[in-house]
Amino acid sequence: MLIIKNAKLRAVLGWVIPFILIPGVIAAGIFIFKEKRYAFITLAVTVLSLLLFISGYERKKTGNRRMIIVAVMTAMAVVGRFIPVFKPIAAIALITGAYMGSECGFLVGALSAVISNMYFGQGPWTPFQMFAWGMVGFFAGLLSKPLCRSRILMLLYAAVSGIFYSLTLDIWAVLWYHEGSALKSYGAAIIAALPHTLAYTLSNMLFVLLLARPFGEKLQRVKIKYGI
Amino acid sequence: MKSFSEYNPITVALWYAAVILPAMFILHPALTALSIVGSVLLHTVRTKSLRGNLIYFILFFAIALLNPFFYHNGVTILFFVNDNPITLEALLYGFTASAMIISVIYWFRSFSAMMTSDRLLYVFGSASPKLALILSMALRYVPLFSLQIKKVNDSQKALGLYREDNAIDALRGRVRVFSILVTWALENGVTTADSMTARGYGVGRRTYFSIYRFTRSDRILLAVTLILEGLLLAGAALDALKFSFYPAMTGTWSPMTAVSLAAYTALALLPTIHRVTEEFAWKRLLSRV
Repeated sequence: MLIIKNAKLRAVLGWVIPFILIPGVIAAGIFIFKEKRYAFITLAVTVLSLLLFISGYERKKTGNRRMIIVAVMTAMAVVGRFIPVFKPIAAIALITGAYMGSECGFLVGALSAVISNMYFGQGPWTPFQMFAWGMVGFFAGLLSKPLCRSRILMLLYAAVSGIFYSLTLDIWAVLWYHEGSALKSYGAAIIAALPHTLAYTLSNMLFVLLLARPFGEKLQRVKIKYGI
Repeated sequence: MKSFSEYNPITVALWYAAVILPAMFILHPALTALSIVGSVLLHTVRTKSLRGNLIYFILFFAIALLNPFFYHNGVTILFFVNDNPITLEALLYGFTASAMIISVIYWFRSFSAMMTSDRLLYVFGSASPKLALILSMALRYVPLFSLQIKKVNDSQKALGLYREDNAIDALRGRVRVFSILVTWALENGVTTADSMTARGYGVGRRTYFSIYRFTRSDRILLAVTLILEGLLLAGAALDALKFSFYPAMTGTWSPMTAVSLAAYTALALLPTIHRVTEEFAWKRLLSRV
């Protein structure tokens, strides 16, 4: 009932969000609230950028095969999350992005966050997970050529993306908790989360090391065999 | 009368947004207290048990007591620890921020229970039918792949390719199973896609089926939610809900503060009241039989 059926309206949304709404929210946060409402601004901007990507994807014509491969890889990432301790979502988003392009990488990262949280619990962290994992896949797609050529570069990217993911979520948690008070323990919070960040980064690299070859070869093969 | 989770998913999702967002971003002790009472009550009437709360109880105190030991702002000094003052303001800020976090966790606990995957898909589908299709296919693949992993695992075991006493070998075995699964899943996916193309998916306009209707009761719930939220936000916009902890606790107080807080009370208790009245009605009907 609330579906935006009008294609023109959707196209308008694609312009309004990046050029009016996002700067508007940031300006409102700075000039109207006057206080340091970073947590609210970052949440609003994250949600809006996700909406922007979705509306862009909705308008685009993509092949059915490509769409199904996104679904398959998303389910793979979620199934992998059931293995205790390890969370291969970032690694799978990375590999998908590198071999299938930024758009697929982003979708796999963002959608796995939604689906795995259906099992593990949704929360205010869901948009940030969507954004962080989506970005890992997106940039892997942009760096596709060097990443596919060199395994060492891919591992390096996995390490960077692990740190990026942890920082994105930690930073927001700190911003939220300390809203209205000074932000001086900011560095302290990041240092406190260091063991966790390190473990996540290492597991991320391990996953890429283990999964890059089987997944890469297979995605490459499917791409050539079916001309996706 | 229908239960709260039977309303249109979009109405329920909007109610959740209306109750969670103020709880997250308006840092006012009274509002936070209302939020935690509302969320815990809803959780309790929904599950009808007090189990599984202990961890959150401990977490609440842990987060709350974190703040006064790191922040020494505030004018009311309670005592000193290692020459660092522990202040009343920092302590109360800790409790308020902690209550805010725990209440949001509780809201999301009931959100996850009420918004089952099909209802969440409906909400997503209203934004993008294409994305909803991918999501629903991925959701179906999760149990399918788990089943397939079990099958592959069993056949690998039967072939004698498995050793579980060696950790590295066990991990390599897992990766091998996963690799087999990937091949199968990708081929299977392409077959599905071809089958969809053969049946004409993507030729015409995409229609979206759902069993959820937008009925009169949804309209009422939506209107009530929007009016209460409007009153609350009006209070916030008129600076009626300002509260600062440092250096000394100061809060604004006006008639509008009372109105906003009353609106939020009604908003936060809405599903609990709904549930309790519904149960009373049911018991009364039963007693007549």
